[in-house]
Amino acid sequence: MNSANDGEVFIETRKLTRQYQVGSAKVQALDGIDLNVRRREFLAVLGVSGSGKSTLLHLLGGLDTPTSGSVCVDGRDLASLNAYQRTLYRRTGVGFVFQSYYLVPSLTAEENISLALTFQGTFGQQRRRQAAEAIRRVGLTHRAGHRPSQLSGGEQQRVALARAIVHAPALLLADEPTGNLDEATAAEVIALLSRTHRDLGTTVVMVTHNREMAARVADRIVRLRDGRLVDEEAAAP
Amino acid sequence: MRILRIVQLALEGLRRTPLRVALTWLGVTIASGALVSMVAFALGIQRSAETPFRALGLVNHIQVKPEEKDEGKNPDAAVLDDDALRRIEALPGVVVAYPDFRVSDVKLTCGQQTKKVMALGLPRQISLFEMAQEADLVGDYFTPGEAPEAILSKRLAAELGFESPDDAVGAKVALEASGLSPEQEATFAFQRKRFTVTVVGIYSIPHPMPGPISRAVLLPVDLMKQIPGIRLAPALERLKAGGSATAAGYEKATVRVEHYRDLQRVEKAVKEMGFRTRTVLSRLDKMRAFFVFIDVLLAAVGTVALVVAGLGIINTLLMSVLERYQEIGIYKAIGASDGDLAVLFLTEAGVIGLLGGLGGLALGRSVSWLLEIGVNTYARSQGVATDLQVFAFPLWLLVAAVAFSAVISVLAGVYPAIRAARVDPIRALRRE
Repeated sequence: MNSANDGEVFIETRKLTRQYQVGSAKVQALDGIDLNVRRREFLAVLGVSGSGKSTLLHLLGGLDTPTSGSVCVDGRDLASLNAYQRTLYRRTGVGFVFQSYYLVPSLTAEENISLALTFQGTFGQQRRRQAAEAIRRVGLTHRAGHRPSQLSGGEQQRVALARAIVHAPALLLADEPTGNLDEATAAEVIALLSRTHRDLGTTVVMVTHNREMAARVADRIVRLRDGRLVDEEAAAP
Repeated sequence: MRILRIVQLALEGLRRTPLRVALTWLGVTIASGALVSMVAFALGIQRSAETPFRALGLVNHIQVKPEEKDEGKNPDAAVLDDDALRRIEALPGVVVAYPDFRVSDVKLTCGQQTKKVMALGLPRQISLFEMAQEADLVGDYFTPGEAPEAILSKRLAAELGFESPDDAVGAKVALEASGLSPEQEATFAFQRKRFTVTVVGIYSIPHPMPGPISRAVLLPVDLMKQIPGIRLAPALERLKAGGSATAAGYEKATVRVEHYRDLQRVEKAVKEMGFRTRTVLSRLDKMRAFFVFIDVLLAAVGTVALVVAGLGIINTLLMSVLERYQEIGIYKAIGASDGDLAVLFLTEAGVIGLLGGLGGLALGRSVSWLLEIGVNTYARSQGVATDLQVFAFPLWLLVAAVAFSAVISVLAGVYPAIRAARVDPIRALRRE
């Protein structure tokens, strides 16, 4: 891989804050996060549930907007984008992997994968080629015609991973990708995620509560507690 | 292309809850079928009422008369003569303009038989008229040119001693007429003329038209002009008004237009020439106003049904939005815009509406077909001979019904589409 841009700051958040109004109470999901992620870095965000991990991921993915502070990805301040611009950013620049896979149950594995290409407007030969490439990368070519209900949890998560990378996004956001899987399967998925990161040079931000898993694949680990970054460490390579 | 894929996705969505979608579709189908058959019924009875007029070509007729003379006794009033008829004939849309001749005491002789009958003048182009196409004719209509020809009613031919209509065609018949004709400014002379005419055709009148026409002879207008006494009445009128008897025109004339759409324009032009006009259409218009009322009433009932079906669509799609809440969140997370989701749900609504409209056509057509069979069976048991066409399905109705159903359905899809577009992906994707 060309590593000319390695080390360059890809994501930069400054005093990133997100409050929710729940009834009459204010919930401080994120409280002044300053975080830099380098291009092609694999960052793991650790934290217990309710620590603000998912909110951070939503903000990085342009699904949510900050209450205050800034979040810049690849030089673009997401807070300044309008709803449609954020849609375009998600469509072309981001891939999501969720804990519950979130595949469309009525579509086959291959159709689920090419769904992202549908909204991008990629069709014909190129669509088929990209989908086939993504499904090959996760090793499920033989299961391409199966529906999610016919696939195991691990297989479903691999389909979800293929869907997240089919359009070659610069940023891959994974929200507890192994949370629903047994240990052996989780290890497989994590290995696949790591390989994808290495092969495609994608910047990855993975949220998890499993420190051991994170340490195995991440370049760096940060920990969130009550909406704040509490410590940061370099993980073992 | 992109939109096609989203449409494809919408179809995929519909396949997921087949029973619910089918029930919704059935609602639209029944509503649209009701609308179609009700409007078809209104159109059908309107057509049934107008058909006799149309068949006789009366809707394409303008009756022309000179200006009333006793109002001001104007000797300068426009004269309805051959020159005026030529000018009327030159108007665009006019097929023919000819003087109306009707003489009630023409003597026809064939061998030993002599009958006093009514003679009607018709232009030689009569074969082009709808009336001619409807009438039952043995032989031919008039030939172009000036040949003295006649067409007899079937009853008259029998009275003259012909055994069958085929025997009569080609026979020569003597025709005698007498009357006063204007000679000079205020002088009339008695004339008696005999013609030998060739019978070219025998007509029989369809059952619902009784009267003298069932026992008459039809003569070409050019021959009628030579009948003595034919100009007496208008010449007298002209004389009373202070004009010259020989300068009198015709009492009345008939103008035929190509299409009834031309009628108003031609009628206006004829009026501007200084003549009085009358059309069957002006009387039909009153009847039409009534039918428009019926049309609107029935269409309104059908529309209410379709609106109710539209509520069904709203319900179905709102359910779908709720059920697919998470899926909508996924779509958004992987790059679907609010507009894409609106298109997705509007398409689902539109497809239900379109298929419902088509189903409605099939349903409406079959139901009305069955009803028509029932009506006709009953009518025959009551001794009505003709096939009654109770429903009319013009092409525009078919197209409009499908389009209307689709439009109502898409409108019904607007609210669910907005709901889908507004789904917050974060809430939709919140971990279970």
